[in-house]
Amino acid sequence: MLDERRTAIHNSNLIAFLGGSFASFGFFFLPVIEIKPNRLASGLPVSLLEIPGDMRYLLLFLLALTPVLLAFVGDRNRRGWALVAVGNLIVVLTLYLPALAGSAYLSGAEALFEAGTRISNPRILTSAGIATGLAGGAITLFAGLLDLERSGASRLARGLAGAVGALVVIVMLAGGRLDVYSIMVEYHARGEALALRFLEHIVFVLVALAAGLIVGIALGLWASRDARAEDAILYAVGIIQTVPSLALFGILLVPLARLGDAHFLSLARDWLLLAGLALAAALVLRRFHARLPERTRQFSLVTVIFLALIPLALLAVLIIAFGFEVVLTILTMAELALLRSLTGLAIFVFPIFMSAGKRYDLERKLPHYQRLRFLPLLAAALGGLTLLAQGAGELLGTNELAELTIRDFGVSGIGTAPAIIALTLYSLLPLVRNTYAGLKNIDPAIIDSGKGMGFTAAQSFFRIELPLAFPVIMAGVRNAAISLVGIAAVASIIGAGALGDFILLGVNSTSIDQILLGAVPAVLLAVILDAALKVLEGLLTSPGIRQA
Amino acid sequence: MIEFKDVIKEYPNGFRAVDDLNLTVRDGEICVLIGPSGCGKTTALRMVNRLIDVTRGEILIDGQPNDEFEPEVLRRQIGYAIQQIGLLPHMTIRDNVAIVPRLLDWDEERIRQRVDLLLDMVGIDPSIHGDKYPRQLSGGQQQRVGVARALGADPPIMLMDEPFGAVDPITRAILQEEFLQIQQEVSKTIIFVTHDIDEAIYMGDRIALLRAGRLVQYDTPDDLLAMPRDDFVREFVGADRSLKRLHLISVKDSMMNNVPCCDHDASLEEVAACLQRRQSDSAFVVDASSGVLLGWVERADLAESRSLAEAMHHAPAGSIAVPEDATAREALSVLLSHSFDLTPVIDAEGVLTGGVSIQRLQDLVEAPGIHAAAQPERRR
Ligand SMILES: Nc1ncnc2c1ncn2[C@@H]1O[C@H](COP(=O)(O)OP(=O)(O)O)[C@@H](O)[C@H]1O
Ligand SMILES: [Mg+2]
Repeated sequence: MLDERRTAIHNSNLIAFLGGSFASFGFFFLPVIEIKPNRLASGLPVSLLEIPGDMRYLLLFLLALTPVLLAFVGDRNRRGWALVAVGNLIVVLTLYLPALAGSAYLSGAEALFEAGTRISNPRILTSAGIATGLAGGAITLFAGLLDLERSGASRLARGLAGAVGALVVIVMLAGGRLDVYSIMVEYHARGEALALRFLEHIVFVLVALAAGLIVGIALGLWASRDARAEDAILYAVGIIQTVPSLALFGILLVPLARLGDAHFLSLARDWLLLAGLALAAALVLRRFHARLPERTRQFSLVTVIFLALIPLALLAVLIIAFGFEVVLTILTMAELALLRSLTGLAIFVFPIFMSAGKRYDLERKLPHYQRLRFLPLLAAALGGLTLLAQGAGELLGTNELAELTIRDFGVSGIGTAPAIIALTLYSLLPLVRNTYAGLKNIDPAIIDSGKGMGFTAAQSFFRIELPLAFPVIMAGVRNAAISLVGIAAVASIIGAGALGDFILLGVNSTSIDQILLGAVPAVLLAVILDAALKVLEGLLTSPGIRQA
Repeated sequence: MIEFKDVIKEYPNGFRAVDDLNLTVRDGEICVLIGPSGCGKTTALRMVNRLIDVTRGEILIDGQPNDEFEPEVLRRQIGYAIQQIGLLPHMTIRDNVAIVPRLLDWDEERIRQRVDLLLDMVGIDPSIHGDKYPRQLSGGQQQRVGVARALGADPPIMLMDEPFGAVDPITRAILQEEFLQIQQEVSKTIIFVTHDIDEAIYMGDRIALLRAGRLVQYDTPDDLLAMPRDDFVREFVGADRSLKRLHLISVKDSMMNNVPCCDHDASLEEVAACLQRRQSDSAFVVDASSGVLLGWVERADLAESRSLAEAMHHAPAGSIAVPEDATAREALSVLLSHSFDLTPVIDAEGVLTGGVSIQRLQDLVEAPGIHAAAQPERRR
């Protein structure tokens, strides 16, 4: 008897139970919308069951209760489909029904408030009940999909079933069905700015990630090779992480402002001098290092590395800041749309070509496959270069060379440069730590056998160590990407733009809608970026080391 | 040919791992480096392909100092197999074997053929396992792939550091035997590190015994067993070194050809005369026409019998005789279990070809170092 009950509980879907309770709890206790007579006055909260009129609001509440009961249905397949249907329905209706009610309230707004309340641009705010309803619906949907996975439903069927609700919501959004919510009102008022800020946000994150990746892998590699540098490097990137982002922006302000004032030509001269010095030192060391005693050799090596790092860092800052400006320019230049999409397409085709080659053994079947497969990459490179040249010309074209300052390249105390530098610094901890761990964890026998077979140091790194550490490094990249999406929002404080603009505005004017307008795309960006990186990781990780 | 000339290796901490090593490995020979753990075998091996730099002295490869090559160029011409195997886990079996040919820029068609040939050679079916990844193979299979990979670009020289050390004893024995067969075909110049004296004796054309970085003795397996230079060697090769030596000698090389025997149709008088002539108490009986061993007859039985057929002890040849291609150690085992003075030796058809006596085996074991030529067939 007891055993039977235990199996019954074991077989039931407790996640669905949770989802149903969550949604119905919210509908019962929390307001779904808030009606505000104007921008400033406090609003009138309305819960689902308070809405006068027909039965459908009560039905939504009852619908939200059904997963609680469905959770105990025994047949896993049927239960799964039922939960998926109910979950989708809850998500859609949670957004749609309050919107209907909201329109009705708006048309009779005068009657709702005390006489004398100023009614101008009355608005409907989404409230906590909608959030719990959406979450509960999503949890129910997820619970159903789990059931379907276990009962052996096909991947395609599950994918479609999971996406139905989201698709309907998108259609509703596009069809203007949800326009009554004030967040949509804000969106319509600021849609264009939003798109641009969103793009900025993406480019910020990607550029910082790319820069962080180069620096992070280099530092991780160094830490994994040199026992004495190991602690110092890991400690340093850890420290960076603890500096509040606001302070970091502030610290960068002064030197970057000075740098921005410098004339391009004089900086170029100084830079060449520095780089030449470092190169000369490196060459001298290379010539004589075999004869130096161990200690002196290490010391000179570190000195040369630091000497080389200064011009490299300068160049990196310049390239990144300028690159960012150029990319944004390219993205907003209308006449480049075709070239842009062709380049994108070529980049997209390359991995397909590569994986198809492996899969169908094209290397043997197509005589010139080895050369052919780099065509899309070549096309992408050409297209990309053309784009960059166009963007750079647009940015710098009007200036006299002698008057060109570094600020024209996008480097100044506020704005893009400090933001990207700070973001790059913040991305270092997960990147360095994971690169280090990934490289350290490789079985030394594998590297030794590679060396013994005649791999050069570079070949060993790119063909053995990097591929083996790749999954661990990618975990760091995902980690960094997600946190960068968040930190990039703060960069708005130093005038760098991005989605933080909306959030900052919203906080200053206590406008929830503005905050959401910045926050929702940021969350979406983080989720999509994470998923995309995961897919990329799966594509590029050898099946020989993939986790089973 | 690989020559160590006054080679010294001192690690940065001042520890001298290899001390004044002089050693010549001849073309086509397997030179086994053996010695207690930490005696410098791996260090000596890794100096050959410059994974470790020599501190003083030099290593010549076909007369040319190995530091005249770029390290990578040198390493691509020298096969390298280690105990941990070190297959690259992210590459397929085929790609692993193809590593050095790819580094040498062979064309893909040639690589494909070479890889399949090598995998076949080490007993891995390329059509079944070729596209698998290392973790999908057993330890023994991985070890084989490791050997195939070391043979990848057909290098004249191979360095093998306890290559069969990580597998169970049964698999190891199989791998050893198969590798010797392969070596017969490819005839590489091999330095083979092990700490297992039995493996050394079985695999080595010559054995170099090291102790604390110094070469103690460099000899053929038989000479090492027969004439241990000092107590250390004697102790290292073990108290059963005589048995081990017998293991190296085949029955064919240790038997006496002329043993007392008579035809099955001989008269009792003829048998008695034969025994008298040979001063022996017994004789083997063979088929008069084919020479196949039928049994034996003892002097004591002659008096009470009317014919040889009645007097003789019939025995199927396999139960009392040892085949010619057995080792002397097996002959000893038969001698001990039958309490014969003389164990008959037969060929593949059962024909009596000779005999082995305890006395004879004793002489062999005590006679120092004359049996370099008397090793089992498998050599060259
Ligand atoms: N990098 C090193 N630094 C200092 N001592 C070392 C180093 N590598 C090996 N040794 C020492 O050198 C000796 C020989 O090592 P090795 O050649 O690996 O021995 P084995 O005969 O077991 O293969 C050992 O005592 C070992 O501790
Ligand atoms: Mg060793």
